[in-house]
Amino acid sequence: MAIVRDLTYLMFFPAGLGLIAAGLFYQWIDRKLLARFQNRLGPRWFQPFADALKLLGKEEIQPHGTSAFLFAALPILALAGVLTAGLAVPLFGLPPVFSFPGDLVVSLYLLSLLMLCTGLAGAQTRGRFSLTGALRAFTQVFAYEAPFILALLSPSIALMIAGEAGSWQIWELAQSAANRPWFALTLPFTFIVAIIGLMGKLELPPFDAPEAETEIVAGALTEYSGRGLALFNLARAAELVIGLMLITALYLGGVGDGLLVPIIFTAKSLGLLVIVVMLQTVLARLRIDQTVSLWWKLGSVLVIAQWLIILIIRVLNLGG
Amino acid sequence: MMVEGSTRNLRDLLERVRNWALANSPWLVHYNSGSCNGCDIEILATLTPRYDLERLGIKLQGSPRHADVLVCTGPVTRQSRDRLRRIYEQMPEPKFVVAVGTCSISGGVFRGCYNILGGIDEAIPVDAYIPGCPPRPEAIINGVALLLKQLQPDRVDEIDNLMVEMGIDPHAIPQEEDLTDEYADPIGIR
Repeated sequence: MAIVRDLTYLMFFPAGLGLIAAGLFYQWIDRKLLARFQNRLGPRWFQPFADALKLLGKEEIQPHGTSAFLFAALPILALAGVLTAGLAVPLFGLPPVFSFPGDLVVSLYLLSLLMLCTGLAGAQTRGRFSLTGALRAFTQVFAYEAPFILALLSPSIALMIAGEAGSWQIWELAQSAANRPWFALTLPFTFIVAIIGLMGKLELPPFDAPEAETEIVAGALTEYSGRGLALFNLARAAELVIGLMLITALYLGGVGDGLLVPIIFTAKSLGLLVIVVMLQTVLARLRIDQTVSLWWKLGSVLVIAQWLIILIIRVLNLGG
Repeated sequence: MMVEGSTRNLRDLLERVRNWALANSPWLVHYNSGSCNGCDIEILATLTPRYDLERLGIKLQGSPRHADVLVCTGPVTRQSRDRLRRIYEQMPEPKFVVAVGTCSISGGVFRGCYNILGGIDEAIPVDAYIPGCPPRPEAIINGVALLLKQLQPDRVDEIDNLMVEMGIDPHAIPQEEDLTDEYADPIGIR
């Protein structure tokens, strides 16, 4: 029976198909809210599902000059990476499917696989739009990745600096976060960096230079059609959910005990989504060099400043 | 026999799911093969928040590889015939072509010019024609809706209701006063 239970967890809920369905639902909320903020009515609730099904049912054209293996494998790798990253995260406030010491670091690196695969997919086609998009995608990875990872490691590092037991295990961290004030309040700078880093990771405005429609058609994925495009879209949908859940688990009160925890946890992640959509509506697209300088001049400095503040508080406490 | 029957049922079901998805998320790519830009401006007006075509799942895509419906305006010039054909061939199956405006149907006022081949159907097969010079956004939506109804005969009523919601009579024959813009009155243009 244990095998059946594990398989259900892996394939249907909370990971696997359930995660993808939740991703498409979150994508609908994203598009609907964006439309309402723009004074439109917005898509119907099944829109992302119809889009995904339609793309899966369409012809896939492999352009000349690409490696057939890479062209087919990259979307699968991207989706697999994202779904694997979801295993260690307490999705919907439920215990993670597979938790081990150090899974925070592993998940963070698996989450970057999507952007890397997108970049490689663009770089191996010969179209100039794809190449420009790939170049921008890689540049953006180097811009946001370090501050984002530092920001998500911050709760644990802060605990260690403050002289308590930190952990690199998401589930342990989430449980210990439930017994403290929200890290979003005690570590406000890194919280902001984490949210904005998630937007950079998902190429949401203002960080959508890699797929700027008005300049380079559709960026790195210009040459993808049908199945490949569908898998990349599903991967991005799943990554949206995992990113929001990860930030909720680490920064917004973690996962406590009780029956209502999953509902409250999901509500918190939806609240975070509303903030992300509002930022998307308000902000205009940054040029790629502006993105880079924003992250390196402001993002990393904010994270390090936050650590310094904790260190100073501790030293003062010890001294006084 | 049973296996054969059930595979046929399964294939029917998959076909229906595919049609449903296609009819509910038509992504457009727009190409101007020699138009005077009148129809292009009307297409852009159709995509603005006032009509909000995302309600029908319609989205404008940049890449023909992502698109299902090729929206063409203008007559086909000798220069643009090869480009039009190449864009059409870059689109993945199943794909549809909508010709917007009088020129894209017959060549319009440019018919007979030395550099004009005629309508879009001189170069590629066309699924829906939308007349007008230029057609109003309501006419364009009507044309796209006709295409969607063709794909999904059993959902005609639903699409009609959506159009009524948008303020379009799905069975109307255009009258003279419909063709003038009520917003043009206050600033004195007709």
